[in-house]
Amino acid sequence: MIPRNEKSIFFEALEIEGPEQRDAFVRRACDQDQSLYQSVTDLLHRHEHTSVCIDKPIVGEIRSNGLMDETLDQGMPIPSSYRFTPGTVIGNYKLRELIGEGGFGLVFVADQQDPVKRRVALKLVKPGMESHEVLTRFEAERQALAMMDHPNIARVFDAGATETGQPYFVMELVRGVPLTTFCDKNRLSMRERLDLLIKICHAILHAHQKGIIHRDLKPNNVLVTLQDGEPLPKVIDFGVAKAIGQRLTADTIYTRFASMVGTPAYMSPEQAEMTNAGVDTRSDIYALGVLMYELLTGAPPLSSDRLQTVGFDELRRMIREEEPVRPSKRVSTLDQNVRSTVSMVRRTESNRLESVLRGDLDWIAMKALEKNRERRYATAAELADDLTRYLNGNPVAARPPTWTYRLSRYAKRNKVTIVTTAIVAVALLVGTAVSLWQASVATVQRDRATAALDTARQSEKRAIEARQDLAGFVERLKLANSFLATGRAHVDAGRLADAVTAYNAAIEVQPRFYQAWSERGVFYASLGLWEQAAEDYAKSVELGGVSNQPDFLGVPQLHWMVGNHTVYQGINAKLSTLEKDQFAVEARGRLIGPIDPETATELVTFAEEQLTLAGYEDQGKVPEPPQGYVVRRRRSGPPLGAKLYVAGWAHLRAGQFAQAIARLKQADQETFDWRGSGISTPLIAIAYEGLGDHQQAMETLRAADETMAGFLVQAESRSDFIPNMPWFDWVEFLVNYQNAGVQVGKRSSDWLSQRWDGRLQPLKSEAMSAIANSKKR
Amino acid sequence: MDSEISRILNSLEQGDPAAAGELLPLVYEELRRLATSRMRRESHAQTLQPTALVHEAFLRLIGNENVRWDGKSHFFAAAAEAMRRILIEHARRRNALKRGGDRQQFELNESDGIVTLDNADELLDLDAALTKLAVDEPELAKLVELRYFAGLSVEEAAEVMAISPRTVKRHWAYARVWLARAMDAEPDNLP
Repeated sequence: MIPRNEKSIFFEALEIEGPEQRDAFVRRACDQDQSLYQSVTDLLHRHEHTSVCIDKPIVGEIRSNGLMDETLDQGMPIPSSYRFTPGTVIGNYKLRELIGEGGFGLVFVADQQDPVKRRVALKLVKPGMESHEVLTRFEAERQALAMMDHPNIARVFDAGATETGQPYFVMELVRGVPLTTFCDKNRLSMRERLDLLIKICHAILHAHQKGIIHRDLKPNNVLVTLQDGEPLPKVIDFGVAKAIGQRLTADTIYTRFASMVGTPAYMSPEQAEMTNAGVDTRSDIYALGVLMYELLTGAPPLSSDRLQTVGFDELRRMIREEEPVRPSKRVSTLDQNVRSTVSMVRRTESNRLESVLRGDLDWIAMKALEKNRERRYATAAELADDLTRYLNGNPVAARPPTWTYRLSRYAKRNKVTIVTTAIVAVALLVGTAVSLWQASVATVQRDRATAALDTARQSEKRAIEARQDLAGFVERLKLANSFLATGRAHVDAGRLADAVTAYNAAIEVQPRFYQAWSERGVFYASLGLWEQAAEDYAKSVELGGVSNQPDFLGVPQLHWMVGNHTVYQGINAKLSTLEKDQFAVEARGRLIGPIDPETATELVTFAEEQLTLAGYEDQGKVPEPPQGYVVRRRRSGPPLGAKLYVAGWAHLRAGQFAQAIARLKQADQETFDWRGSGISTPLIAIAYEGLGDHQQAMETLRAADETMAGFLVQAESRSDFIPNMPWFDWVEFLVNYQNAGVQVGKRSSDWLSQRWDGRLQPLKSEAMSAIANSKKR
Repeated sequence: MDSEISRILNSLEQGDPAAAGELLPLVYEELRRLATSRMRRESHAQTLQPTALVHEAFLRLIGNENVRWDGKSHFFAAAAEAMRRILIEHARRRNALKRGGDRQQFELNESDGIVTLDNADELLDLDAALTKLAVDEPELAKLVELRYFAGLSVEEAAEVMAISPRTVKRHWAYARVWLARAMDAEPDNLP
């Protein structure tokens, strides 16, 4: 039973600040009940001092059950954040809590120990994410931040690398609340809100002058703190190098997914366009316009509610095409309750709201929100100036041209002309000779200065262009990644045509991104569309996408099968330079093609080591399955069947036929967690032939014919058009089966297609039409 | 879009409490299916964020429908409960496997995503404590489910439970220390 008053006493005690006062209150409230007093005190103590498991969001690990798992690693990877936990010391910094986690970075609060004690934010690359691309982008973000020095932008203090090599940088810890929350909570008036916005404009202007575009400006990225009673906005999260370029994992899909839901309201039409046209400083102007709109009316022009209820394409259409309602009109159509809240937190009378906004503020917001960026304010300074003019009661530039307006502009221009003319005249009168002499000296100096200035300008221009190139690249990469995520989601849902459309879009947006090609490649391969898959993978390989990670399993075999022998050799050469931690990728790739006896023997050694780890005795003789291996089979990555199969295949290629047959037969028995059972049969036939037992070899070949027929029945009943096994198992079977036919059965070099194309081709056609069809739903 | 879901949410909005019973299995299945398809697509072990799954399930099941907050509340309540069940089920199974109990009977099949947790025991303890909390304070237990298993923010939880964010914070403060105490205590001495 929960004591009757424990909860209410606890609640009241929470409101009391000082420990003594609090204790006194609890004593009084518990009257004479000593055990109640103790339990409440205990809870209060825990409240202050104990961390509870529910404080952290729950995170599980989703683990493949081994059917698809072909890795040769031991155990499971350590979640990335584990190495850095509160208390870890990095250089001069002691980590405290984790406050942010992106696709590739972690942000911690940290205590700096030396030379000054202060609390900072420390951002580091997630362990395991240190690819060249990520590091480049991380460095780009650090440099971008370091280049900026503005009171309204979080500063970078320091940078370095951890002992394990993760680069990190240290920046100002901003303890603020999101812009809109701050304004509403503190009931800032319209004027105070616009003052804040002007400060933000200046921060963005500063960034733009350094060639940095924010790209993801939204209330959550503008934190406001109070400094000496004055609200101080700080723009955070300059997205130049943000969370892109890493391999897609479930994690990043979710990140992307979340950012897709959250950000579209602030996305400019050209960002939503998703073409290569690129994004420039004017996209930030648009976002400033959205911020202004939200500060004025309480919601962005396209409300998140609406954006969340539409599909991806509709969302893009809305951003590109839907003209925002003028702020004054928007507030006039607000629901009465909302309207009174909106006006209350702005300290404006509800019925005056519309008239405050009508006119200048309408025009300023609408000019910043122009769909066509040519018609927006050209710089953040122009927007800030117009806001200042409004606040000072001067006419704003955003007003549509009227005849009075034009007249005032004309007068202004003429005034300038008159002044200029006057100055020139005076100069001429004051002494032509002196002027001429000075002019000749000045000209020489000026020429030198101009030359130096030109050089400086040009290199600055190049730097800015380079940065913008990089930024554009990053932006397209982001986009490509989100298309890939969409593609995967469609595959999950069985919408093959939609998936292929998304993959195509990813490639179109960022054709130099190998991941896009290899994702479409694996998509085709999983449907048995070998030629298309090989073509995509070849492109990915060309772009540097060779890896020894499990997602590359089968790629060499695929190229061998379709006859791309040059690509095949290239991949092998590249794989041999990589670490041997994921040897299965290289091993299976090599076993399928020409191989020298030394390499084959090496592979045997390696494969047998893996089996020893799984509980099998190492052997020079014919191997026996060990006792009790069941217990150990789940310990390491790939299924036991796959290990036995690779070992047997390696023995075969090394000319150790008896061992090959023993291992391959064991592999065939492994149906517990391996779906490749049966793919060993052609190899067994070849091994018998090697032993000189032709009769047994022929029998096994006929068994392989049966197996093939069985596999086809499976494939014909499945929605992915291949038998119930990973696609690379199927590729290897087809190649080895063809080889067995030639070597054992003396069949012709293209017997396989002659005999089986009648059933293989329809499968491919079906796959092709599945890709084409669901498009028109 | 799933008309089954919208039908149920509509009946709930019209005050048919029996419909809640129909909602749970649907949401449960969707969450399991999502977790499994994640597992099938990733050959590596992956960090799984159950709360992200809940939000994805929401978009898949409800995303395109115009459902009022009432309906959403029911959804999130069901999703939180479903997620709790899924995780507990996996934690139990994992512990059983660890002890080798039903290893021989335990056949893996394709639809079995295994969610392993950092600390399955801790999760099981929490589940037990939460069940006890629900006896006297069902609302507090529901709040913990919403925030911990469905990952709702204070504001979202407030909306789902139709109470103020301030109340959510106070309830949360109490629930967390209550659970901490319950989890610390010997099983026999639980209050």
